[in-house]
Amino acid sequence: MKPAVASPEAPRYEPGDFWDEMFEAPGRVRPHYRTLARRLASLSPDEVSRRQAAAELSFVARGITFAVNQGPEGIEKIMPFDLVPRLIRPDEWQLIERGLEQRIRALNLFLHDLYHQQHIVNDGTIPAELVFGARGYRREMCGLDVPGGVYTHVVGSDLVRNREGTFFVLEDNLRTPSGVSYVVENRRVLKRVWPALFRDHEVRPVEAYPQDLLGVLRSVAPPDVEDPNVVVLTPGIYNSAYFEHAFLAKAMGVELVQGCDLFVDDGRLFMRTTRGAERVDVIYRRIDDDFLDPLAFRSDSILGVAGLFAVYRMGHVTLANAVGTGVADHKAVYAYVPRIISYYLAEEPILATVKTYVAAEPDDLAYILDHIDELVVKAVDESGGYGMLVGPHSTRQEQEEFRTQLRANPRGYIAQPTLALSRHPCWVGDHFEGRHVDLRPFVLFGRDGVRATPGGLTRVALRRGSLVVNSSQGGGGKDTWVLGEC
Amino acid sequence: MLSRVAEQIFWLSRHIERSIAVSRLIDVTLHLGLDAGDDEALDLWSPLLGSTNGSPAESVEPSAVRYYLAFEPANPSALLSCIRNARGAAREVRESISSEMWEQLNTLYLAVVEPGSKQQAEDDPHLFYKRVREGAQAVQGLADSTLVHGEGWHFFCLGMYLERADNVARVLTLESHLLTAGSSSMREDETVRWLAVLRSCGSAEAYARYYSLRVEPARVIEFLLLNPLFPQSIRYSLNAAWLALRGITAADEEDHPNPAVRALGRLRAMVQHTAIDEVLEGGLDTFLSDVQRRTWEVADHITRIYLRDQGLQGRPMPAARAAMIMAAQQQQ
Repeated sequence: MKPAVASPEAPRYEPGDFWDEMFEAPGRVRPHYRTLARRLASLSPDEVSRRQAAAELSFVARGITFAVNQGPEGIEKIMPFDLVPRLIRPDEWQLIERGLEQRIRALNLFLHDLYHQQHIVNDGTIPAELVFGARGYRREMCGLDVPGGVYTHVVGSDLVRNREGTFFVLEDNLRTPSGVSYVVENRRVLKRVWPALFRDHEVRPVEAYPQDLLGVLRSVAPPDVEDPNVVVLTPGIYNSAYFEHAFLAKAMGVELVQGCDLFVDDGRLFMRTTRGAERVDVIYRRIDDDFLDPLAFRSDSILGVAGLFAVYRMGHVTLANAVGTGVADHKAVYAYVPRIISYYLAEEPILATVKTYVAAEPDDLAYILDHIDELVVKAVDESGGYGMLVGPHSTRQEQEEFRTQLRANPRGYIAQPTLALSRHPCWVGDHFEGRHVDLRPFVLFGRDGVRATPGGLTRVALRRGSLVVNSSQGGGGKDTWVLGEC
Repeated sequence: MLSRVAEQIFWLSRHIERSIAVSRLIDVTLHLGLDAGDDEALDLWSPLLGSTNGSPAESVEPSAVRYYLAFEPANPSALLSCIRNARGAAREVRESISSEMWEQLNTLYLAVVEPGSKQQAEDDPHLFYKRVREGAQAVQGLADSTLVHGEGWHFFCLGMYLERADNVARVLTLESHLLTAGSSSMREDETVRWLAVLRSCGSAEAYARYYSLRVEPARVIEFLLLNPLFPQSIRYSLNAAWLALRGITAADEEDHPNPAVRALGRLRAMVQHTAIDEVLEGGLDTFLSDVQRRTWEVADHITRIYLRDQGLQGRPMPAARAAMIMAAQQQQ
């Protein structure tokens, strides 16, 4: 990195034995990063730090925060922001876009099948106990036709690159993927603190996401509704993603409701307004299936709406995402996605899948127990970086604990080879260092088809050497540019 | 609009208005203290702790009183509590207010909770309270210039003006001791005090321009209670609140006004059709407490008619448990 190299005190940037997004070799910048590198070289470390501080201040003032501690006195934190953007070539993006569209179409056909004829289980392509035993499977959904056959209106799949630069899908988030507000806000902040960067590049815009989302939500309204009333359902201000819920509601110009604002009457759903009851047709919900309706699911839920699921089954309200999508992003089902794609679409998967050992299979279990120090072991029902063992970074004692748990509950775990995630230069104090990154693009699916927002959230593992990028585990974010065709 | 959202906006606005009143009260009392010079006997601060219930408050250190009025966490009307509550309400409805409003309020909040702010408030109180006041007034200005002048804005105005009427009444009650206290009965001294009363309602300059007269007690009271044009007077505030409420009520309610409209209409008419000598004849305190009581009544009606129904009241839930469940909703 030039400014660091240029100033004699700063250490030289070392791409290391990884795929570096910016450098193909020490001192050799990849062609699509050259303009950016020239721009960085024209700045002193002080100037970079000043802009970094301005960006952080902007997040604080705008209240773009997530709650770290639970409870009313929880502390609000900003997601650390690294101001060097991550650049994606047009051809790379095309591959991602096509690959994700294929995946999402296949997974929606899979969900439809699971909740109707269940061909894929009956003919033995995927083990019955795996899908029906998965926590996200909802037999209450059987026989229900969702509008347009769309189950996953919003998807945020996590992609990573290995040492060779190949993109892999690491997991599909099909229930309540979050982070899209950061995609839009990171862009806005970077434009504000470093406008010159944008003059040098043709960057595809991400600002239309909320409007696209609104279009998708309206497209899946119950068929008899002419001008659908869309709302965003949030668990409330203590949820870590509350900022995002408010952001989306505001950008779409719809109401942000909580469970207590809604009620069911005569087979329809209404919200309480200052002028009485107003009908609701589409809910973009950011609360779990379990909490949607105390009558249908968990009876102790205070966030949901009594009777909501019955209205949903009658087809008088649409939920996005649909109930029961969790079975398709289950970590063990993930291993079968390539098969699911060829089963429903008769196509080869475009995006690679990480080799996955399903501990429920005896052979796989034996392999995992033998190679636990090389693998990443994940609990299938956890997310956000919890319940996870990164073999090479773990102690013997931790490995032994996981071995015990694996033997006791093999169906609860999967394992994957430890990927050497790609790295990207990040500003650390007064110089650049390589940090591991992933990429979460956001894909919308409505009656009119699939649309991936060109960009996404590049999450950064800020601790040196760490592979965990989740914001709950101290990860940060970068603006992500999909470059236009030049 | 959602009842919950309307309620938050209503209270957001009330808290903002109250924070302005509190900061003004502290600022003015400080100034008055400087004017009073070394008259140790004159305790300006203790009465502000709210001796309105009849038992005179014990004498307390001025800095302790200031702390109580500005920062005491247990005081729900403390400056800090007001700003924290306003910000909390704004956070709940940030999708329904403008980003400019939210950012202004958030910045104000961050400045006040900053650890050094208590020291700042003691070191340079005038600057500190002026900044806070301006910050809060900017929220009001932004509400006016960036919100659609529809229902949400009407609830904002309704909250602001009801609170203002209530505050003027309260400040006058709290400061009534100024009008009688002190051993010396020099005219000069009295003028200073009445000016202070005007200042604590942000009204000194307007009074001077309006009457271009010497400060006279009856005129001051008339100005603050009954002036039809000055936006800090009780009469003006009630009138503005009435217009906001009319903006909220549906047109078909015109012939059958609801209890909130009736209560506010009666109060407004009473203030509008009262002359200053009638107020003084009946006793200023009686008049002020009547205004306060009836303002609360109006707010109570508004709450029941527009903001809450049984559904909401029927679901009490400990805050900590609610927070835990909200936080537990997985965001992938």
